[in-house]
Amino acid sequence: MAEIKLLTEHYHKPEFQTLDGYKKNGGYDVLKKAFKMKPKEIIEEVKASGLRGRGGAGFPTGMKWSFLPDNGEPRYLLCNADEGEPGTFKDRLMMERAPHQLIEGMIISAFAVQSKKSYIYIRGEYTKCLSVVRKAIKEAYDAGLLGKNILGSGFDHDMDVYSGAGAYICGEETGMISSLEGKKGQPKLKPPFPAVQGYLAKPTIVNNVETLAAVKYIIRDGAAAYKKIGTEKSAGTKLFSVSGDVNKPGTYEVPLAYPLRDLIANECGGMKGKLKAVIPGGSSAPILNADESNKVNMDYESLAAAGSMLGSGAVIIMNETRCMVDMLNVILHFYHHESCGQCTPCREGTGWLEKIVSSILLGRGRPQDIDLLDTIAQNMKGRTICALSDAAALPTISFVQKFRDEFEFYIREGRSKVTGQPIKRKNIKGSHHVEMHH
Amino acid sequence: MLKCTINGKEVQVKPGSTIIEAYMKAKENIAHYCWHPGLSIAGVCRMCMVEIEGNPRLQIACNTTVAEGMKINNTSVKVKESVEWTLGFHLINHPLDCPICDQAGECGLQEYYMQYGKYEPGMAEHKVTKDKVVDLGSKIVLDKERCILCSRCARFTEEVSKTNEFGIFNRGDHSEIGTVDGMPVENNYALNTVDICPVGALTSKDFRFRQRVWYLKDFDTVCNGCSTGCNIKVYFNENGLYRVKPVYNEKVNGYWMCDVGRDVYKFADRDARQVKGLRNSNNQVSQDFAGKIALEVSQHLNSQKADSMAVVLTGQYTVEEYKDFVSFFKAKGVSQFYHWINNPDKLNDFDGILYRGDNNPNTKGLAKTLADEGIKVKPWNELFENVESSKVKTVVVAGPEIQKFYPDLESVFTRLNKADTLVWLTPGKNDLFEKANYVIPTKSFTEKNGTFVNHAGVEQKIKKGVTVVSEALTLSDASQLFSGKTAVGFESNVSKGHAGATL
Ligand SMILES: Cc1cc2nc3c(=O)[nH]c(=O)nc-3n(C[C@H](O)[C@H](O)[C@H](O)COP(=O)(O)O)c2cc1C
Ligand code: SF4
Ligand code: SF4
Ligand code: SF4
Ligand code: FES
Repeated sequence: MAEIKLLTEHYHKPEFQTLDGYKKNGGYDVLKKAFKMKPKEIIEEVKASGLRGRGGAGFPTGMKWSFLPDNGEPRYLLCNADEGEPGTFKDRLMMERAPHQLIEGMIISAFAVQSKKSYIYIRGEYTKCLSVVRKAIKEAYDAGLLGKNILGSGFDHDMDVYSGAGAYICGEETGMISSLEGKKGQPKLKPPFPAVQGYLAKPTIVNNVETLAAVKYIIRDGAAAYKKIGTEKSAGTKLFSVSGDVNKPGTYEVPLAYPLRDLIANECGGMKGKLKAVIPGGSSAPILNADESNKVNMDYESLAAAGSMLGSGAVIIMNETRCMVDMLNVILHFYHHESCGQCTPCREGTGWLEKIVSSILLGRGRPQDIDLLDTIAQNMKGRTICALSDAAALPTISFVQKFRDEFEFYIREGRSKVTGQPIKRKNIKGSHHVEMHH
Repeated sequence: MLKCTINGKEVQVKPGSTIIEAYMKAKENIAHYCWHPGLSIAGVCRMCMVEIEGNPRLQIACNTTVAEGMKINNTSVKVKESVEWTLGFHLINHPLDCPICDQAGECGLQEYYMQYGKYEPGMAEHKVTKDKVVDLGSKIVLDKERCILCSRCARFTEEVSKTNEFGIFNRGDHSEIGTVDGMPVENNYALNTVDICPVGALTSKDFRFRQRVWYLKDFDTVCNGCSTGCNIKVYFNENGLYRVKPVYNEKVNGYWMCDVGRDVYKFADRDARQVKGLRNSNNQVSQDFAGKIALEVSQHLNSQKADSMAVVLTGQYTVEEYKDFVSFFKAKGVSQFYHWINNPDKLNDFDGILYRGDNNPNTKGLAKTLADEGIKVKPWNELFENVESSKVKTVVVAGPEIQKFYPDLESVFTRLNKADTLVWLTPGKNDLFEKANYVIPTKSFTEKNGTFVNHAGVEQKIKKGVTVVSEALTLSDASQLFSGKTAVGFESNVSKGHAGATL
């Protein structure tokens, strides 16, 4: 099996970034086709395609759309282009290379869910995306593809770009909604779910960039054709952002269920060094060791069965030079820093985890710290408003479980089992043991 | 109604009820910090974990609604371990402040620690430190380290007082409660945030360090600070009264009270009180038992003609007292009754939450009693004219309990003191009163039974909880003594047989 180019087919053509170039390659033809369908038919088509959200959770898109209540209230469509998951860079590429593809996918989706207003929430650091997408939206307005009575269909739709300020938590759908509402970017309690009560307390659909772009190809080729790609429960293609110790890191589109070892060998030009471990779905996914990585296929079910997850499709590949204590510390530093601080287990737990691993790196680890890491993580998991707490807990549990020897060695010897030296990095939190007298 | 099972007990709840509400209904314990029935649901403390039969994941009770037939428990090992851990998360960065914390004894952390905690602390790392003793204006002191970030105070100032002073700043374990640049929190409901803070992060300047809470007793009554009549608890011990807090009453004040009302205890406490009766004959002031003074007044009243007497009433006494007092004078043939309204132009003011311009708890009760007795009150200004023209020779005033609400007190007193005889009944002391002919100390709202009728006509019973000035009389006592029906010695009985404690 090789790459199937659906979403990425025209990425290499600079012209694809402009409306004219996009149209030359069939751009907005699918929108015309969609306008000939009934909104409900589009939803049915998306349902039948088996498309699952590409933002991380993998929730069936058509099903999410059908949760919208029929109460006559205005509906919002939000495109999640925050792309905060460490290791993920596929959405950026899509927005830079194929902004109209996203816009077309969004108009079709907006028509399907009968939304008159959408926002693309782009992370603030993505300055290029912001300008490319803004320019494309303007082109679309000028061409009557946005605004009133689009292409004479009778459908009105306005689209806006919103620049986030760069907080991971603003990628979580309700955190994004809070942010859009002008509040502190903090997730909201569910229920109510956004589809029922989202932006400005109105029914709202939040979808990832890749998800919305994929809708176009489902309508173009039909659900059946789309569903033929991948597996029964993991249909379609998926963009993987591959980084780490491979010869050709990058974004690759392959059918779901593509074997990870093939992805490394064929698309990424093979390993640099010897494969040690892979985080297959962004830094919040449990880590796989070399053995597991060699066996697993890149789809929702296979990865779940292997004890990890597909997540955002950020594949982080590590060779034998990587110290797992260090890697975990980097991950925990991130989640500690990004916890919004609302829920106690996450607010306190992320910091605690990072401090413990930092202590280990600084040679102050205690033998009981390994089990403590696991217990803390177990008690952070599944007990908070959003999944950020899990995002810190799951890697911790898996790192400690699969690379326990490295943690034990470091605690015992005060140095890395892999490098033979103590790890020195700037952001290791200086931390001391304080005897507590309680 | 929906049926569900809480820890094995079957209860029925209204559709839409949350599990935590079902726990309240079932009177089963459930740990919680962030949930407060008067605020929106935050779901952040994660203490209210429950297990629902058929659901592998624990759920929070405060944001999960009850479904028909749900079987819920928080007694399983799984739940207990989870709560224990959540408590552990709350404690890892919490300072070891209990000995010097004003909240000790009423602290949610202490309580749950006794219930769920009692384990070895696993945290060997440095705690996150934050600012302590942050001054938030005239009423509140904040300790950021003790805060468990339940967001109750922030939700209160957003949703109830709508003043938005509090916010949570920063992220992760550096999150902290505060106000922008330490901006003061001066709204008239600010002290409710101290009440609802489950830990000692927000403390009341008025109460701080004055008493350990376990030395305090309390009783329920009604605030006499305005015509809303919020339900309150008064806290006291043998040394005096210390604070008041609101008590839930759906019809009157919900969960809250205003900060003006927080001070009512100060006017009932000994320092503010007229303790002895006074008589002033020819500028010779002497003190005596209240009852004795009342009997002397009785003799004086007997010697007066009914049409030379006037009675002045304020809206701070109980319906029962008004009845007895008014009937006594009516029976004497007195027809000049006046209602002293301290702030007529603000009487109908309302801040939209609880506080009303009428600072009397029983204006309605007074009006109603007078009407029931068939008495038409005379226009207020006529009183001064009649005193000045000597048409009125004796004035009997049942004066205000909270003098600060009567800014015209001094001028009214001075003008009425032009009468041949001024009899002043009041709970509060004031040097001014030495100029009256007779002063009779009366009971304050903490010391008597009776009824207040609030602005909306809601009748509320108050019960005596504590006696501060044992010799003080109710207006009913005074009426009885005025009628001369009681033998000498009654005054000492007046202080006996009270329910509740005596200071
Ligand atoms: C902490 C956190 C961060 C997230 N960040 C992103 C993000 O950057 N981009 C994204 O598309 N989804 C992100 N998600 C997932 C979204 O909450 C949501 O599931 C997704 O946008 C839905 O779109 P989809 O159904 O198309 O995947 C994040 C979730 C969590 C818990
Ligand atoms: S889990 Fe963490 S990031 Fe998510 S809402 Fe709670 S505190 Fe915030
Ligand atoms: S100060 Fe008190 S009420 Fe406010 S968030 Fe902290 S603990 Fe909660
Ligand atoms: S609103 Fe009125 S009754 Fe309520 S506490 Fe304040 S003064 Fe007292
Ligand atoms: S009381 Fe339910 S989470 Fe705080």
